[in-house]
Amino acid sequence: MNVPDVLNRIQIRLNETPHLLRLGRMFSTSVLLEAGPDSYILTFEKGVLEDIRINSATKMPWSFALRTDENALFEFWQPIPKPGFHDIFGLAKMGRAQIEGDIILLVRNLRFFKETLALGRGTL
Amino acid sequence: MTLAQIEKITGRYVTLDIAGQSQRIYFEEAGSGIPLLCLHTAGADNRQWQHILNDDEITDRYRVIAFDMPWHGKSSPPEGWEIEEYLLTTEVYIETVLAIKSALGLVSPVLAGCSMGGRIALQIAVDYSADFAGFVAIEASDFQPAWYDIDWFHRPDAHGGEMGAALVSANIAPQSPNQHRWLTQWMFMQSGPGVFRGDLSFYTKDESLVGRVSLIDTKQAPIHFLVGDYDLTCTPENARNTADKIKGSTLTVMEGIGHFPMSENPALFRSYFLDALARMG
Repeated sequence: MNVPDVLNRIQIRLNETPHLLRLGRMFSTSVLLEAGPDSYILTFEKGVLEDIRINSATKMPWSFALRTDENALFEFWQPIPKPGFHDIFGLAKMGRAQIEGDIILLVRNLRFFKETLALGRGTL
Repeated sequence: MTLAQIEKITGRYVTLDIAGQSQRIYFEEAGSGIPLLCLHTAGADNRQWQHILNDDEITDRYRVIAFDMPWHGKSSPPEGWEIEEYLLTTEVYIETVLAIKSALGLVSPVLAGCSMGGRIALQIAVDYSADFAGFVAIEASDFQPAWYDIDWFHRPDAHGGEMGAALVSANIAPQSPNQHRWLTQWMFMQSGPGVFRGDLSFYTKDESLVGRVSLIDTKQAPIHFLVGDYDLTCTPENARNTADKIKGSTLTVMEGIGHFPMSENPALFRSYFLDALARMG
């Protein structure tokens, strides 16, 4: 699997996860996920991941960003991630990610965003 | 039909004068024997210790006591709280623990504290180790600066408890059972407005232990550190660095557990805790 495959998995699983759709009902924004040289704009509308756009960060606005590398993301998406790789703030604390932009928006929706990103976990 | 299971834990209240304020404090206890006084983490309450309080192997030998700090759990905030900014200090925290010890008549107790509770256990060990049988410092170090903004947890436009819970989930191991993971977070969600922030002010800004920790005399009372490998806030390296400053202290890294071991994975924690208790005087 590559990063777009996992993001597609997250999109499908989110649609099948009612409690996350409920938690995200006020989350309508675009988020930049940077994985090394490639970046992905994830556009959410009322908790639904409506659009995944590759390498469009210079053309589209985003509210907050998680900038990391592909290896760190794949460690995060392991079924049982290693210590530090189990949470986006762990990645940041280890220096494997930066969180930028409207961080208050992220924190206000932190459970939704972290659980949504973790939907990618499984066989990769 | 499921049989009712009434637990052995009893809960009572005690009103104490602490730092010039009258504080009505809730405490729970179970068992008899050596007093074992247990301190909860920031932003939570004594329910973190419910599994230890319900553990027959422990309560057969120990009088286990866990109280809610003022402002936390079922302890009240003091009169006038509505205009007070809650900011915990080292001095008031030490006074609170010693006041409980005295009020409940605890002679030579073991003091077990987690996170900020572990920090204050170490502070108490510096000056009062002769009055205690030993210290179990869980997820504890002499100082941890914030890797977050403590003001996130007390804002007029958001639920501080839900945000706090979502943040501290970073400190829970992915292997921890879902039931216990979510009850651990529930305590943070229920925390009063500004309380987690006020605890973290103490935990992330007060560096007063750094220069004093090496003064702890483990010949008076042993100190054992327990630290989970999934703890982002106080990593095994952080705890080890502090333990290395205390001659005679010991440390165990707990695998597959995070910052809230007694509540996030009670079954895994108990063997480590039993080992720690066996090391106490």
